[in-house]
Amino acid sequence: MADFETHEFDVLVIGAGGAGLRAAIESAVLGQRTAIVCKSLLGKAHTVMAEGGIAAALSNVYSEDNWRVHFRDTMRGGKMLNNWRMAQLHAQEAPDRVRELEEWGALFDRTEDGRILQRDFGGHRYARLAHVGDRTGLEMIRTLQQRLVALGVDVFQELTVTRLLTDGDRIAGAVGYWRDSGRLVLFRAKAVVLATGGLGKIWAITSNSWEGTGDGHALAMYAGADMIDMEFVQFHPTGMVWPPSVRGILVTEGVRGDGGTLRNQSGERFMFRYIPPMFAAETADSEEEADRWYDDRQHARRTPDLLPRDEVARAINAEVRAGRGSPHGGVFLDIASRRPAEYIKRRLPSMYHQFKELAGVDITREPMEVGPTCHYAMGGMRVDAETGASNVAGLYGAGEVTGGMHGSNRLGGNSLSDLVVFGRRAGMGAAQHAAGLQAVPALDSSQASACDESMEAPFRGDGKENPYTLHRELQDLMQVNVGIIRTDSDMRAALAGIAGLRERATRVKVEGGAAYNPGWHLAIDLGHMLTVAEAATRSALERKESRGGHTRDDFPNASGEFAKVNVVVRRAADGAFSVSQESLPAMPAELQRLFEED
Amino acid sequence: MTSGATTTQTIGFEIARYLPGEDRAPTLRHYDVPYRPEWVVLDALNYLKDEVDGTLSFRWSCRMGVCGSCGAMVNGVPRLMCAAFLRDYLPGPIRVEPLANFPIERDLVIVLDDFMQKLRAVKPWIIPGDRPPPADAEYRQTPAQLADFKQYSMCINCLLCYSACPVYQHEEEFLGPAVLALAQRYDHDSRDRGNSQRHELTWSDEGIWDCTFVGECSAVCPKHVDPAGAIQQAKVESTMDWYRSVLWPFGRR
Repeated sequence: MADFETHEFDVLVIGAGGAGLRAAIESAVLGQRTAIVCKSLLGKAHTVMAEGGIAAALSNVYSEDNWRVHFRDTMRGGKMLNNWRMAQLHAQEAPDRVRELEEWGALFDRTEDGRILQRDFGGHRYARLAHVGDRTGLEMIRTLQQRLVALGVDVFQELTVTRLLTDGDRIAGAVGYWRDSGRLVLFRAKAVVLATGGLGKIWAITSNSWEGTGDGHALAMYAGADMIDMEFVQFHPTGMVWPPSVRGILVTEGVRGDGGTLRNQSGERFMFRYIPPMFAAETADSEEEADRWYDDRQHARRTPDLLPRDEVARAINAEVRAGRGSPHGGVFLDIASRRPAEYIKRRLPSMYHQFKELAGVDITREPMEVGPTCHYAMGGMRVDAETGASNVAGLYGAGEVTGGMHGSNRLGGNSLSDLVVFGRRAGMGAAQHAAGLQAVPALDSSQASACDESMEAPFRGDGKENPYTLHRELQDLMQVNVGIIRTDSDMRAALAGIAGLRERATRVKVEGGAAYNPGWHLAIDLGHMLTVAEAATRSALERKESRGGHTRDDFPNASGEFAKVNVVVRRAADGAFSVSQESLPAMPAELQRLFEED
Repeated sequence: MTSGATTTQTIGFEIARYLPGEDRAPTLRHYDVPYRPEWVVLDALNYLKDEVDGTLSFRWSCRMGVCGSCGAMVNGVPRLMCAAFLRDYLPGPIRVEPLANFPIERDLVIVLDDFMQKLRAVKPWIIPGDRPPPADAEYRQTPAQLADFKQYSMCINCLLCYSACPVYQHEEEFLGPAVLALAQRYDHDSRDRGNSQRHELTWSDEGIWDCTFVGECSAVCPKHVDPAGAIQQAKVESTMDWYRSVLWPFGRR
């Protein structure tokens, strides 16, 4: 066996977005030797792209708001499939996490008298998103990154983790490679926190950047972790649709929060036709009322433009399918006719520049063209709400790689708060686990050698498959067959397609050497993506109903039976998947009462 | 992203290729790329990586000008490749090289350890002094107080300003535009009391006094942070501080 570069820590955090940074900070503050590994540069993780804000019932401007209202909104947005305890902790702790970010230096836009200003977002009863313009994620990641640096946490940048190491049935560390040299690196650790984010790059139209290949979801499955809710994928209703090179790039929900409205090709505000019974009581049923709501929360109900994301995405999809879409296959998002140019530029500066520079559209003068884009995975590793612990001893998780918090559909703004609430908890959980172990678990070097060999494979052999081609075929397959609207036969076709791609992936060949070779990196990621695509498809086949981010043409309604279960998927060591239905944890009576007023 | 419409028109690219250990120096290699008016340089490079040469190395991430990963010299000027349209460089060819003033890791990928060290050196976090935030509430900060430094907080760490800076080109010790603007962002934050802990470094010869106010940094900044303005402002403050200390012995207290 070759000599591998080896490091030893108490806690290893994989991923340096909001969740990973917050976990590493907590673990370091608790005195554990902590390292954080990220596959791109520190500070460039996907969190940086979050625009609208961080949801927290601060009650500083709207005294009626409190954690119970936030909790209720979150559960209803998730169509009651959320892990109630996670949703409760999230709502209770988000305000403290926002104030903590501020204490560490984060900027927030302010009210005239200096309080943190909050903005309206879909599914939130009160204006609840603390924000700075439309670049909240950038501010958050800078703040956390600088706090991490101040604490002296070890950072390994541009290092991709490919497998978790185990000692029997517990975590012993991880193995990865430096992207610049291709050299293998071993991390021995008492506990590992997965905070690897999402998997949008498995779909063709996505807001996610190249990093979102579901690595952490795959690593968790390889290590034997239970995954839940993998069928729920959020298609954000408003991505750019034109020009093709920017298709899928996000248009913040803040456009609608700040007065923008959706229209079809005849100019109709079609969302009024798509108000589901669950939200009818609190949604305006006339344009006049909806417009009045922006200034008068007491006497008007909220605009249907701000229904939860799954509702809006389905409505846009239906309009386009009915032939009422915009020229490039989306619908129109109009703020130009509704707000002054100066207001738009001040409230949405990034959007203004994004459309001006990428699409040649002046959003203060003309409407945007938007359509659904694969944005967020609700599903992921099943974790304990209090500690972020998975079913694998020593393996913890936080953020998008975990499941449960958001149920079948995430509300906008609940992601940034999720990252810091559960990042902190997972960091704490991992630190406590590590503190309880005398020694770092044993290292089974054969696991690393096996990993080394499988990574070498794309350089050897006489295969002719191009990793980029396989990736694109997978994306198209999933977009067409496991997209916004699903059927049994389409998804079975997807499974067959995935099997075919998996077979072809054994013949991937990459040119060049191991030094900074993006084709080789993709060849490695491809295995993860195929694993995650299969898990998502098998879970989606199992759920024979429509709910949140999972809509089936063959089962168009929500079912009472499936309202009570999570779909759990596991991958055995031999690569076989098993899917089962398991009861949701029961919500205590005092929380159930919050929903009885419906 | 690259499939779909067909085109016969192409535009030429001259792209710096370099693999340390194998190549003695970077060399420009010519490529032809389908011309699409809506494409940016980053689209063209991704096309080449996906279709022509899978080893072409460059950093990128968000495609929307906020992550700051995709800086490069485009026809000799530091730019974000995601914001540089092919149509603005007609008829071509378009020359793409790694950001100037940095060691090269491979192709267009630069080594930025130096920047990360400097970032840390100016303590870019709130130093509360004896005035911590109120329990269970936020600091009060008015929109006017925020406006005083908000612009300096827009930095995306893309390093275009270092690449454009004629001082950094010759003096590696210079803290540089982005880091000095960041220090100014915290010095001016009404919640912060850490100025004295930063000034020893930022007001030194490696800091603001190394800047000759050429202003190239502000000219290339994609986020209009105006680091040159920040440095100039700091020079005035530093000078005032010095006069106060000399002319009025109790003035600093």
